[in-house]
Amino acid sequence: MASHVLGISALFHDSAAVLLRDGVVVAAAQEERFSRVKHDAALPVQAARWCLAQGGISPADLDCLVFYEKPLRKFERILATATATFPRSWQSFPRAMHAWLGDKLWTHRALARLFSVRPDRILFSEHHLSHAASAFLCSPHATAAVLVADGVGEWATTSLWRGRADPPFLEPVAEVRFPHSLGLFYSAITAYLGFAVNEGEYKVMGMAGWGKPRFREQMAQLLRLEADGAFSVDLDYFCWHWHATESFTARLPAMLGPPRVPGSPFDPASDPESQRFADVAASAQAALEDAMLHLAGHAHRALGERALCLAGGVALNAVANHRLAAEGPFEHLWIQPASGDAGAALGAALWAWHAVLGNPRLPEIRAWCLGRRFAPAAVEAQLLELGARFERLDDPVARAAADLASGKVIGWFEGRGEWGPRALGNRSILADPRGAQTRDRVNLRVKLREQFRPFAPAVTEAAAAHWFDIPAPAEAPARAMLVAPPVRAERREEIAATTHVDGTARVQVVNPADSPTFHRLVEAFGGCTGTPVLLNTSFNLKGDPIASTPIDAMAAFYRSGLDLLYMEGCRVERPR
Amino acid sequence: MGYLRKAMLTVASEVAWRLPGWPARFVTSFADSERASGIDMLAAAEHTERGDLRRKYFLHALDESKHAALFLSRAMALGGNKERARAALDDSGTLQRHGTVEGRSMFERLGEMEFLAFVWVAEADAVEQFGVYLERQLPDPETHATLQAILKDEHFHVSYSRQELDRFRKQGQVAEVEWSLFRVRRDRWLGAWLRFSREFGVIVSGLWLGLAYAAMLGPFRGLAALEPGGWRPPLPRPACSLATARSQA
Amino acid sequence: MSTEPEPYEPGRLESILLRIGTVGELLAMMMRGGRWWMLPATITLLGIAGVLLVLQGIQYVAPFVYMVF
Repeated sequence: MASHVLGISALFHDSAAVLLRDGVVVAAAQEERFSRVKHDAALPVQAARWCLAQGGISPADLDCLVFYEKPLRKFERILATATATFPRSWQSFPRAMHAWLGDKLWTHRALARLFSVRPDRILFSEHHLSHAASAFLCSPHATAAVLVADGVGEWATTSLWRGRADPPFLEPVAEVRFPHSLGLFYSAITAYLGFAVNEGEYKVMGMAGWGKPRFREQMAQLLRLEADGAFSVDLDYFCWHWHATESFTARLPAMLGPPRVPGSPFDPASDPESQRFADVAASAQAALEDAMLHLAGHAHRALGERALCLAGGVALNAVANHRLAAEGPFEHLWIQPASGDAGAALGAALWAWHAVLGNPRLPEIRAWCLGRRFAPAAVEAQLLELGARFERLDDPVARAAADLASGKVIGWFEGRGEWGPRALGNRSILADPRGAQTRDRVNLRVKLREQFRPFAPAVTEAAAAHWFDIPAPAEAPARAMLVAPPVRAERREEIAATTHVDGTARVQVVNPADSPTFHRLVEAFGGCTGTPVLLNTSFNLKGDPIASTPIDAMAAFYRSGLDLLYMEGCRVERPR
Repeated sequence: MGYLRKAMLTVASEVAWRLPGWPARFVTSFADSERASGIDMLAAAEHTERGDLRRKYFLHALDESKHAALFLSRAMALGGNKERARAALDDSGTLQRHGTVEGRSMFERLGEMEFLAFVWVAEADAVEQFGVYLERQLPDPETHATLQAILKDEHFHVSYSRQELDRFRKQGQVAEVEWSLFRVRRDRWLGAWLRFSREFGVIVSGLWLGLAYAAMLGPFRGLAALEPGGWRPPLPRPACSLATARSQA
Repeated sequence: MSTEPEPYEPGRLESILLRIGTVGELLAMMMRGGRWWMLPATITLLGIAGVLLVLQGIQYVAPFVYMVF
């Protein structure tokens, strides 16, 4: 009889549920794709319900449900920190206690009630252990160094693990503790630059490309690289550990200049203030990269492994990942696509299966489309009910390639939804990358987002080396858009819409085995145009999660400036 | 609308809209409500079994998204939210609240008839509320124009939801429709009371927590210290087993 | 497949026992970890939590209770 383990992450941001059957992922989804609330932190009831339905089981059939962290240790950290920062924490303390005393402290009961699982079948992993497991236990490496860097878990903000070939597979080596945190440092800069925390970090990464790291010295003071191979943060400049709403003190603007007003225009070409913000972003990005290299160097010296598995929210920083791959000491780099808190649900489940229940390792997970899919007949029925103008095609790939080559911007909704924050060709907005005007059009008229933000290219695996300088260690993460290598100099003008101002691109290398339909589409476009590269951005508008159902896709289509929508073989046109 | 409700709304509006910073707050809250309503309508479009209603809910959802964008744009023009973190959230377009409770959307909780009753009551209230603001010329001509543009769609929402409720009545379900309307109106009042109750509770419990903070944490300040930076040895943990995995600590 | 006809839901007593279990684990963890000085604050906060939970259960009259409490 099969064994089923359900992993759950929730209550901070990016809740998710993952179902394993005999250690193999049957279904994985983030709650936001169901609730339509971006970064939804609520317990993932809908995602879990769907996962169980996918597995054809009921909650009573679960061997265990695994929550991704130890809530009581987190509570301890919050209380200890509030005491250590008395009396400055007087505003944040009641807020935190409202959340914990009313809700988060009783997670065990909530899990039992909402997921209908007996309390003795509920397990609790640790936050960083879940992250570490989510990277190492999915990777092809029998042994590896595992580095986790995020905002904070229970106490650890950065942790180093030895990935072993035998149970319990992950051995803790060292950790950096709260309030010293790379993730929170980057989030504080995100807030300084006027973006929402846990949402705007990508925007800082994009803004950095427009700047020069002229605040490097200041950043070195803010984020000190220690002789022991780790780091510390100058807490005089930051207050995430005691303030209710702010993450930086008045000393930071005194050092770097006034913070950016949220929503204010960004035009570095003509506005000196915009250039300053870009330079702050570039400097913070460089500081983060230096810190990651410093940590990786220590990990390599301490553990002597050839492979590095990376996890935690900081591992979503594709620019830093590229630098790790290009300049770091490891021969192999492996990152799980949902390396933020959503991915910890996968890690918690894998940890329970392998470490707790003592099962052997399984092969690498390569295909990351683990979400919902919709039958063509059901999609067609809904399109008819919505009164959409559409036609069913025998060969949607060929027609879509032709539409793209003629300059159309299309929504592409095929197969199972992606796991993680990146669209990998199943829930994507696609366009012809040739011509910088495409970028502006997609930013302003389709996705309704800031103009400075770059778009990512998707390239066939066979053509990748001709267009991008991807270092060997980055080959695996490049399949999931987790590195940002340089575009080859002679190709930059050719795919101007997906070449960032600094000459890099957060590329997706499309493998025919992992993504057959999308690979055919990119290839077909290459056949039409000679350029086997597509602009690939996630199928969502500003503030929304990625479209998950045909109704979501139609809503995004109608609200945006997309020309066409391709959905499970149907070509949908805009209403007259 | 009851004359009493209209009178209360008129008086409250005359005061509230004229307070510094409040027009932006109100309009932002309208944007939030429209966004949340859009989510609820999309969920209804997903879950309804009636194809004709799926289209209506879908179009209604598109309208709500459009209204949210209009209101947000107007709120920014009125100065937006002065608090940085909140302003950044508004700028990101991230939704703050919606009608999903413990994984069930409003449509799933209420069912078709009561959901339509909710839509009719809520949209009719919005029409009347906006009508008061337009009558009083509140707060300024540009917001006035935004409200007028939105009202056209709201009239359609009132109209189709009323037609659907009339359809149920014609099918002989008069008592069920009236009961649904009663429950919706009752729950809206109770919801407002609960919101007040929660806000009041936050204030009062905040006072008690503040006292606890001063009395219980303050004296031990000297025993607590922030962790230093740099590598630390991992915290001691028991050997991995099913028993230790059950622990929350 | 399951032989249980109804999905599991903790009853009132079981819910209370789960909460008591959590409290016990929390206090034990603090003793074990050497942060004994957090015990007075924790116990006080758990007392406040108890009141908040009771009030959550009687939400409609909560404001009146708060005015007294």
